Amino acid sequence: MIVEIGAFALILSLVLSVLQTGASALARLRRGPVLAAVGEGAAIAAFFTLAVSFAALIYAFVVSDFSVANVAANSHSAKPLLYRVGGAWGSHEGSMLMWCLALTGFGALLAGYGRGLTAGLKAVAVATQGALGIAFLAYTVFASNPFWRLTDPPVEGRSLNPLLQDPALILHPPFLYVGYVGLSVVFSLAIAALVEGRADAAWARWVRPWTLAAWSGLTIGITLGAFWAYYELGWGGWWFWDPVENASFMPWLIATALLHSAVVTERRGALPGWTIFLALGGYTFSMLGAFLVRSGVLTSVHAFAVDPTRGVLLLTILGVTAGLGFALFAWRAPAMARGGMFAPISRESALVLNNILLAAATATVLLGTLYPLIREAIAGEAISVGPPYFNLTFTPLMFILLLLLPAGPLLAWKRADAGAALQRLWVAALLAAVAAVATLALAEPRSLFGAAGLALGVWLIVGSATEVAERIRLFRAPRGEVLRRLGGLPRGTWGMTLAHAGLGVFVLGAVFETTWKAETAEVLALGQRLDVAGYVVVLENVAPVRGPNYEAEQATLRAFAPNGTLACMARPERRLYSAGGQTTSEVAICTRGLSHLYVVLGERRTGADGEPVWLVTGYWNPWALLIFLGPGLMALGGVVSLSDRRLRLAAGRRATPALPAGPEPTPKPVGEPA
Amino acid sequence: MAPMIVFWIAVGVISAAVAGLILRRAARAAAGGGDADSTLPLYQRQLSEIEDLAERGLIAADERRSAHAEAARRLLSAADSAGPAWTISATSRPVLVGLAIVAPVAALGLYLAFGSPGYSDRPYAQRLDQWRAAPPTQLDAPQMAAVLRSVTAERPGDPEPFRFLAIAEMASGDAPAAARALREALRLAPDRADLWESLGEALMVAAEGEVTPQAAAAFQRALEQDPTATTARFHLARALIEAGEVEAGLTQWRALLADLPASDPRRPVLQAAIADVAAGPRPPAAPAAGAVGAPEIAAMVEGLAARLAAEPDDPEGWVRLVRSYSVLGDTARRDAALTQAKARYADNPQILRELAQAAEAEPMR
Repeated sequence: MIVEIGAFALILSLVLSVLQTGASALARLRRGPVLAAVGEGAAIAAFFTLAVSFAALIYAFVVSDFSVANVAANSHSAKPLLYRVGGAWGSHEGSMLMWCLALTGFGALLAGYGRGLTAGLKAVAVATQGALGIAFLAYTVFASNPFWRLTDPPVEGRSLNPLLQDPALILHPPFLYVGYVGLSVVFSLAIAALVEGRADAAWARWVRPWTLAAWSGLTIGITLGAFWAYYELGWGGWWFWDPVENASFMPWLIATALLHSAVVTERRGALPGWTIFLALGGYTFSMLGAFLVRSGVLTSVHAFAVDPTRGVLLLTILGVTAGLGFALFAWRAPAMARGGMFAPISRESALVLNNILLAAATATVLLGTLYPLIREAIAGEAISVGPPYFNLTFTPLMFILLLLLPAGPLLAWKRADAGAALQRLWVAALLAAVAAVATLALAEPRSLFGAAGLALGVWLIVGSATEVAERIRLFRAPRGEVLRRLGGLPRGTWGMTLAHAGLGVFVLGAVFETTWKAETAEVLALGQRLDVAGYVVVLENVAPVRGPNYEAEQATLRAFAPNGTLACMARPERRLYSAGGQTTSEVAICTRGLSHLYVVLGERRTGADGEPVWLVTGYWNPWALLIFLGPGLMALGGVVSLSDRRLRLAAGRRATPALPAGPEPTPKPVGEPA
Repeated sequence: MAPMIVFWIAVGVISAAVAGLILRRAARAAAGGGDADSTLPLYQRQLSEIEDLAERGLIAADERRSAHAEAARRLLSAADSAGPAWTISATSRPVLVGLAIVAPVAALGLYLAFGSPGYSDRPYAQRLDQWRAAPPTQLDAPQMAAVLRSVTAERPGDPEPFRFLAIAEMASGDAPAAARALREALRLAPDRADLWESLGEALMVAAEGEVTPQAAAAFQRALEQDPTATTARFHLARALIEAGEVEAGLTQWRALLADLPASDPRRPVLQAAIADVAAGPRPPAAPAAGAVGAPEIAAMVEGLAARLAAEPDDPEGWVRLVRSYSVLGDTARRDAALTQAKARYADNPQILRELAQAAEAEPMR
C-alpha cells in the first residue's frame, strides 16, 4: 500500500500547489494576510506530501517492487542497497520527482523563512513558486508518473545503467537539482519584484542567499559530475564540452553573474533591471538544462533518457514559463527606479564588466550547445561542436575576466582609484611573473599557454589573499590590531576570498593537467611493462573477481616511480554487468602528491603466441587533484558566505586610499566570479 | 484486506495533517495582526549597525557620514513607496476550512481517476516466498530461476541447485546467467563432465552459437573427465569445420557417429549434418545449428500448442504460436492456428493485426 500512498501524496502535492498559487495570488489582490497564510501553509504542505511521495518511491526501490514500472525498468534485486536507493533518482521519472521535491522544498523555505520580505512581494513570490510547481508536478503526475504500476510484474528488473552505479553519481543529481531548482526561488522573487514594481536593496538582499545556495549546489553538482566522468568513463579527461555538461554550466555562469550584480543592487540600489533579468535567466537556463538532458534531444554519453513526447512537454513548460517571465520584464522593467550613480572606475563598474564578460561567455556556450541541434534540425546533418570552438571563444573571455578579477575587490564603491588598486597587487604580479618564468624554464615541453595559465592561477590566488591582507592591514598595523581586524572580517568576505582563490586553484590544475598530461597505451601480456611520464607500470596478474551484481577481471599492476621505488599497486577492473549485459571500466588512480597516475584495463585479447594480452592505458595527469579541489573551495566559499547571516548593508566606504582602509564592515557579498 | 485499511488510514492522516497545517497558519495570521512593511526594520537595523561600526572605530568618520546618508535615503524612499499595510479582511472561517478540506478531496478524486487504487505492494522478497511455496509446475522459467537462486544462496555448498538454476536460466533465455551458475557448480564439483559440457553450451549460446575459446576450453575439460561426452565432441568438431578445417572436423563427426549406439535419437541429426557439410561449400554453421536446434524448437512449439489447447485464453500465446509455425514454414498448421485464433479474438482489432503480422513472418529457409 505504501506505493499507492506515494501516488496519492504526489497528486495531493499537485493540488496543494494549485491552492498555493490561487490563495497567494488572491491574497495579493485583496491584501489579505490570512489568505496569504493559507498559500504559505499550502506551500509547506506541498513539500511535506512530496517528501512522503519520494520516500514511498525509495521504499519501492529498496524492496525491489517490480510492479512499479519505474522500478522494473531501473532496478534489479541483486543491486547493492545504495544503488537501489540511488535508482530512485537515476531514472527519468524519479529524477523529475526529485526536481519537484526540490521545487516544493524551496517553495516551503520561501513560505516559512521569507519573513523579511514585504507582504506583497512574498505573496507574489509564493504564488509564482506554486505555479512553477504546478507545471512540473502536472508533468510528473500525467506524463512521467514514477508510480505507474504493471499488472504483470516481471520477475526481475532491467537494472540501472552500470555507469550510473557509482557513489559520485548518486550524489551528483541531488546537488545539481538544489542548484537548478534553487534558481526557481530567484525567478519567483524576480517576478514578484516586477509585479510590485520594486527591486530595491532589500529585495536584492533576499535574492542573494537563494542565489548563493543554488550556486553552491551547482558548483558541487558540476564538480561531482566532472569527477565522475574523470574516473568512471576511463577517457582520462574531466570536461568534454558535452552539451549536457554545458547545460549545467550555463545556469552556473548566469548564477555567478547574478551573485555579483545582486551585490551592486544590494549595496547601491543600482542595476535593478539587469539583476532581475539575470534572475529570470538563471531558472530559464535551468529549465533549458532539464529539457536538453531529459528530452533525449542530444545524443551524448549522458542522454540516457530518450522520449520525444516528454521532450515536447518540457519544451512547452520552458517556453511558457520563460516567455511569460520575460514578457512581464519587457512590460514592467522600464518603469523600475534607477539606482545610485557610479563612476567608470569603481567597484560597481568592475562588477558590470564581470557581468558583461560572464554574459558573453554564457552566450558562447549557448551557441556552441544549440548550434549543432539547430543545424541538424534544419540541414539534417549532424555536426559536433567540441573543444576547439570553446578554446577560441570561451577561454579568451575567461582569461580577460580572471586577469581583471583580483583588482575588483580592491576598488572602492562609487569612485575608485585604479592605480592604487593595482599598486597593491604588486606582490601578486611579481609572484605571477616568477611563476611564468620558472615554468618556461623548467617545464618540459615548453608551453607558452601553460606558463601564462600558471601565472594566472598564481595571480588569482595571491590577488585574493591581497584583498584580505589589505583589509586586516597585514604588516602595516600592530599585530593586535591585525588580529582584531582578522576576527572582525565578515564571513561574506571569507567566502568571496575562498571562492576567488578556489578559482585560481582550479586554473592551476586545469592548465597544468591539459598542458603536461601524458598518455601511453600498450598491449601487455603478464609481466610486461608500460612507460608513462617516467613511471613504469608492470602488469603482474589478472584475476576474475565477483561483485554483488557484476563479474570483473581485475588487473594487478605494480607502478614504480621515476626514482625506482614502488609508487603504488593499481587495480583497474573491467566489469560485466550481467543484468543489462553492459561492460564498464573501473579506473585505478594512484595519487602522487597533487597528480594522478591513472590506469585503465582494456579488453582481454589473444596475443600472437596464444597467451592472453590486455590493452592497458596509462595516463599521467599532473595536478589533476586541483581541478576538483578548486571548485570544492569555491563551493565552500559559497557556504561560508551563506552562513553570514548579518543583514548589513552599508553604503559607501573606504572613500580614498589616503584614509585608513578600514575593514569593510559589510559582508562583501559573496562569491565567485569567475 | 488489511493493506487497504492501512492505505485509507494513511490517506486520512496525511489529509488531516495538511488541512491542520494550513488552518493553523491561517489562524496565526488572523490572530497576529497585519504585517507591517518589514523592509523598514531592515534599513533601520542597517543604520544602527553603521553607528555600531563607527563607535568601534571600524569605519572612518566621513565614510560613516556617507553610508549613513545613503542608508537613510533608502529608508525614507522605502517608507514612501510602501503601500498601505495589509489588513485582516474577514476571510470567513467556513471558507478557510473549505479550502483546507477541498485539497485532499480533490486529490483523492484525481487519484481514484488516474491512480491504481487497491493495488498492493509487491516486494520482491514476498513474491519470492510465494513462488517458493507454489508447486514448481506452475512457475515459468524466470520465476523458477529466481526460486533456485534463493536456494543456491541457502545451500552454497551443493552443486545440484546450481545445475538446476543453470537449466532454469537457459530456459529463461539468460545464457550468461546459466554460465555463471555452472561455474559455481563446477567450483564445487570440478570433476563433473556433464557440468563442463553444459557450461560449454551456455557459453556458446551466450556467444550466439559461436564456439568461443572459453566454450572450447569448457568442452575440452568435459572430454578430459569423460572422453565419450557427445555434445562436447560434436561442438568441438563443429568449431573445427567453422574454422575451415572441414576434413578434420568431418573425421571427428564420423568417429562420433560410429560411437553413438544405433538407438540414439541424435544419430539422424548428426548424419544430416555430416551429409550437409560433405555436400559442399554452403556455410557449414547454418545447417549444423539448424540440425541441432530444429527438433528442440519444434518441441517447444508443440508444448505451446498443447498449452493453448488446455488454456486457450492467451492472446500473446496465439500470436507466438502463429509466428512459430510461420518461421518453421509449416503453413498448414499456421493457417489452422490462425483460423482458430481469429475466431477467438474477432472483436479485438489489435490482436487480429498482430496475428496477421505473425502469419507473415519469414520462414527460416
